[in-house]
Amino acid sequence: MSWWRRDLPPPTPHSPLPRIAIAIGAALLSLILLALTGLAFGHTPGELLSILFSGSVGSKFALEGTLLKSIPLLLTGLSVGIAFRAGVWNIGAEGQFLAGALGAFLGARYGMVAALAASLIAGALWASIASVMRLWRNAPEVLTTILLNFIAIHLLGYAVNGPLQEASGKYPQSDAVAAAAMLPSLGASELHAGIVIAIVAAIGAWFLLYRTAEGLRLRASGFNRSAARWAGINVDAQLVRAMAISGAMAGLAGGIELLGVTHRLFERFAAGYGYAGIAVALLAQLHPLGTLASAFFFGALTTGAGELQRTAGISSTVATFGQAIVILVMIALTRRKSA
Amino acid sequence: MTHALFSAIPLAIVASTPLLLAVLGELVVERAGMINLGIEGMMLTAAMTAVVTTQLTHSLALGFLGGIAGAALVGALYGLFALRLGADQIVTGTAIVLLAQGLTGFVYRELQQNAIFNQAIPRITFDAVVPLAWIVIPVVLAMLLWRTRFGLRLRACGELPAAVTANGASVAIHRWTALAIESVLTGIAGAYLSLALSSGFAENMVAGRGFIALSIVIFGRWKFKGALLGTAVFGIAAAAQYAMQASGRGLPFHLLLAVPYVITLLILCGIAGRVRAPESLGKT
Repeated sequence: MSWWRRDLPPPTPHSPLPRIAIAIGAALLSLILLALTGLAFGHTPGELLSILFSGSVGSKFALEGTLLKSIPLLLTGLSVGIAFRAGVWNIGAEGQFLAGALGAFLGARYGMVAALAASLIAGALWASIASVMRLWRNAPEVLTTILLNFIAIHLLGYAVNGPLQEASGKYPQSDAVAAAAMLPSLGASELHAGIVIAIVAAIGAWFLLYRTAEGLRLRASGFNRSAARWAGINVDAQLVRAMAISGAMAGLAGGIELLGVTHRLFERFAAGYGYAGIAVALLAQLHPLGTLASAFFFGALTTGAGELQRTAGISSTVATFGQAIVILVMIALTRRKSA
Repeated sequence: MTHALFSAIPLAIVASTPLLLAVLGELVVERAGMINLGIEGMMLTAAMTAVVTTQLTHSLALGFLGGIAGAALVGALYGLFALRLGADQIVTGTAIVLLAQGLTGFVYRELQQNAIFNQAIPRITFDAVVPLAWIVIPVVLAMLLWRTRFGLRLRACGELPAAVTANGASVAIHRWTALAIESVLTGIAGAYLSLALSSGFAENMVAGRGFIALSIVIFGRWKFKGALLGTAVFGIAAAAQYAMQASGRGLPFHLLLAVPYVITLLILCGIAGRVRAPESLGKT
């Protein structure tokens, strides 16, 4: 047995109430730790938290920004959640997000539906490179998916500086996609139809994992590989499918971000949504419906961090810092072994 | 082509020195039964603390010590979760990478107006790190792991920790020691990256070297000879690509940036199927 072939730690408490309590506790504790860190650099916790709060949910404009950021986070969170549930260590949502955006950009000339489908397929294919390497050569997907992230980032850099650069050739970015392929906005708001797709995806993921035989096989493969194999499940096939579904979700996130928000590709397109998905999934304790709330929390954190940068001059990378703290706090709160 | 390859070798040796130090550190830790993805974050933190210490003290030697201290701090956090709390090591490692990225990015911008990140750092006049990393440290570590009782026990922690306990020795002490060794090595690696190979700190400057190091440990089959060989192969392949670029026959610039990661993927696919990891690696 190599180290990358192992079972997922058993899930945290099974009944919903303690799980929700743990998540809320972890979120609050993380905010406190974040504020304390700010204190070390001369920002009072009150100032920091109030900007974070007002900048994320304090006004209609801020709330829209938060929801807008929650959409890709929800999808990458689902991506990571499904993979981890199936015992597949997909740390590659960042790269699959970019693959999905590239796919959507290429598919956009054939309309919105084609673009979204292309993003799903591109994400799934990019993730499947890791499956192939794992099954064919036993290369650990933890490492291959991370390496594929770096490759995707540089491929995108090449694309927007080379073949896909805008016609005017002025900036390292692509032209905007055709208006027909853009996601329609909801009413007079900044929000776009992607939020509906993302919520449907979350419900679909829940249905898949907890209400279908395929979902049971996926979870069984993640929970105990050898027991699953003895039960007649082809765990290798489950790995391939989990990775593909996971990649498709992250790819869809990239496609929706392109068609709904940025409309063009540029070098720093992914902006950490893929890695943030890990924090989203773990705060939700890998539950698709919990991911709805978790994505909103991290959407608020990201939007609030942007406001911190504008008004208080604090780097918005505190959002990344916050994600890390949430993961660590969740680990500490849900660990099995008593210290 | 062959000329480009040979002229690339000295460059490759110097440029892959921080990578080699990371590989050596990770090898020790994995032999003790831990898988530390957080090494990427340890190097990044070290790169920053090394620059800060150097600018505050105007001493490169203290800068390297500052790098080691930074890496040790992050390593201790990893140890707290992976060893003390028995947390999943992959998840912990990932969180530590994010933590280091967020924290260094935050500090970098807090101090951006400060002279610390604007002043030129002193130039290294005598580079002792390269011979240390390529000759002295691998020999010393190999002796330590394969010629001493301590090393035997450390390796047993990676294969069958229960045997170490039955022998009356402490698994925790051996693993913490392995982490300490890794902290020193990645601390030097991070410091070398920002003080010698670059002219200061830049956000995310480690650029995946930690993950590449983990792959090379597998390629080298958890042995020091393999680690040296793997790093050299990787370094020369990457440097040859740059040399070809300079001669005008290489890939477009942005694709060139992807080459090290593609090489690492190929290395992983070439070898991973036929290796045996330490038996208890990554188990909590």
